[in-house]
Amino acid sequence: MNAVRVHQFTAAIGPRDAVSHHTFEVDTLLRDLGYESEIFAQHVHPDLRDRVRDYRLHADLEADIVLYQASTGSPVADYVLTRTEPLIVNYHNLTPAEMFDPWEPHIGAELDFGRRQLGRLARKASHGLADSRFNAAELEAAGLGDVVVAPVLFDPPRLRRSGTIDVGEPPTLLFVGRLSPNKCQEDLIAATAALRQWIPEARLELVGATSSHRYETALRDYAQRVCPGGVKFAGSVSDVQLADAYAHADVFVCLSEHEGFCVPVIEAMATGTPVVAFAAAVLPETIGTAGVLLDDKSPTNVAVALQRVLTDRELRAQLVENGRLRAATFSPERNRSVMREALRRVVEECV
Amino acid sequence: MCSPSLDDRSAPRADEAERICLVACQAVTHANAADSQAYINRVRAEIEAEAEARRRRDPELERREREIERMWIEVAPPGAAGSQGELLLDRADRLAMIDVDVPLGSKPGIRQMKGVIRKGAYWYLRYVADQVNALNNVLTRLLRRFDERITALEAAAGVGDGDGLAGSVPEPTDAVADVVASVLGPQAGRTMVLGCGSGVLVRPLHDAGIAVHGVDRDALEILPGVRDGLDLRAAEPAAHLAEARPGEFGAVVAAGFVEDLGPTAAQRIVEQSVAAVGNGTVVILASDPGDRGVVERELRAGRGLSPATWGYLFERVGATVELVETTDLRLRTLVVARLA
Repeated sequence: MNAVRVHQFTAAIGPRDAVSHHTFEVDTLLRDLGYESEIFAQHVHPDLRDRVRDYRLHADLEADIVLYQASTGSPVADYVLTRTEPLIVNYHNLTPAEMFDPWEPHIGAELDFGRRQLGRLARKASHGLADSRFNAAELEAAGLGDVVVAPVLFDPPRLRRSGTIDVGEPPTLLFVGRLSPNKCQEDLIAATAALRQWIPEARLELVGATSSHRYETALRDYAQRVCPGGVKFAGSVSDVQLADAYAHADVFVCLSEHEGFCVPVIEAMATGTPVVAFAAAVLPETIGTAGVLLDDKSPTNVAVALQRVLTDRELRAQLVENGRLRAATFSPERNRSVMREALRRVVEECV
Repeated sequence: MCSPSLDDRSAPRADEAERICLVACQAVTHANAADSQAYINRVRAEIEAEAEARRRRDPELERREREIERMWIEVAPPGAAGSQGELLLDRADRLAMIDVDVPLGSKPGIRQMKGVIRKGAYWYLRYVADQVNALNNVLTRLLRRFDERITALEAAAGVGDGDGLAGSVPEPTDAVADVVASVLGPQAGRTMVLGCGSGVLVRPLHDAGIAVHGVDRDALEILPGVRDGLDLRAAEPAAHLAEARPGEFGAVVAAGFVEDLGPTAAQRIVEQSVAAVGNGTVVILASDPGDRGVVERELRAGRGLSPATWGYLFERVGATVELVETTDLRLRTLVVARLA
């Protein structure tokens, strides 16, 4: 009997991209399960062309099941919708278009397009996979009945830290994520500015490439005005530099309005960095009781929380301990095991 | 943190150790969860109370907070910050018009000076607006001229129908080739296959003993067939057909390139192939645009005639047309035009 052919499709594949990494991991799991698997995308980074094919060059491809990794609007989704095989959608969330509209209307339009495509995908798909219950709820609201929650596959930095503040170093707040309006880096800058009233040497490090140059320009201008010399824009960094950033951070702070899973929160907890976050979107689900969740992210409120976490040894110790336990529930081995079982189940039900 | 020491030489044991560790961690987590939740909730409440207390103690704090937020509104585009609706409308209102009606009420001398300024400003703004409109018109016309030049260049290069943009048409399957061979039969006479690709259509005719040669514009595409001993030639199919003498062939088969032709070029192919076969048969392999894959449909949007239209063109020149069904999903219908 021939192996079942489960081919993956996605909009783009590139290095150091969470959905791309997840797609490769799923490819490995599918092969481990004994299925045939190939990856197809529209935009493929030159370094990865030996592992991923251009979907336009393989329109007559034969498959038994199509697995679509949904994270943005793309012609690939339209192509997938025309195929006749059973469809599984792995949903990684779409940022609401209105968050990008004032900054980059074309990205907003793309996200809006993606949201409409998601509705069509959900109606056509037989099964769904979602990174979180939050994402699963969105997929179900879009019209898909059978959604399995299976975590995004990622490898947290290997580094561990003591959980104590580095002696002699200025207190460092860290956020890791693309400079993107939904992640509200302006609120982080505002909170740092407020905190510097009480801890003048406090500084903020923003790690991540940019999704909008207009937004980045405004952030830099804003940081210069309210927090001169207190904000470091590190940009995209290597894995080693990322581990170093976590190692030197005293608090990981996230004030995003919208996140679909937020891998950096888990990475911070895995590396023993206390987490303070705004209780929005998926963050209460991802963080659980392992961080300080805030209902109000006004600069003063966040600054008071940060000051408390920086100075209260008992609270830090509790957050570090809770964080490590929480991160253990998202260990790569466990994530792979859960995803493997989810894939096996949905593929068997599709065949 | 529970960190298991795993023996790498035994993967199953490692998995088991990891599982046991996880269960232990989860047990600890569950046991402490209630305490931990209560503690974190208490901290959250204390943080909110502390923030409120600081605001009460220091009114300057609230002013500073508003100042921080105001600075973001200054650097952010309309609609991105602050109270969205009113701020957006206010800024749009200010950006959308220029008020040249400078207030004039004042002492007589000043009023006259203001009047002059107002007239000057009005004239200047009209002048700038006219210039912008003129530039806009010129740019639009330039774009149109540019489009006309590109169209002329495409026509001169013979790619006016977008032939060069679409990429190659997929070759017919062996099943379709067998249908073509059975339609023509062993008495087909000398046969020419236009758009032969690697020779899929030529091979069964060759195997049936028919004198057949194929023509394709892509020299690399025909190489496999040439290596197999088929008579395949690299040439432009339409030009090759135009060079055929009247009645030189018993049959002409056209595939691939015919799927990109516009009505005029298609009419030319009909006339030339009818002349080339005399009393013979012409077979056209063209997909119906509705049967094309989504990607191909995008690439060939608006191009290529359907089999029914090809049939109509042949009927107009006196051929007896038969639409032959195949099992192929892309080439469902072959157009067979008999001139006998």
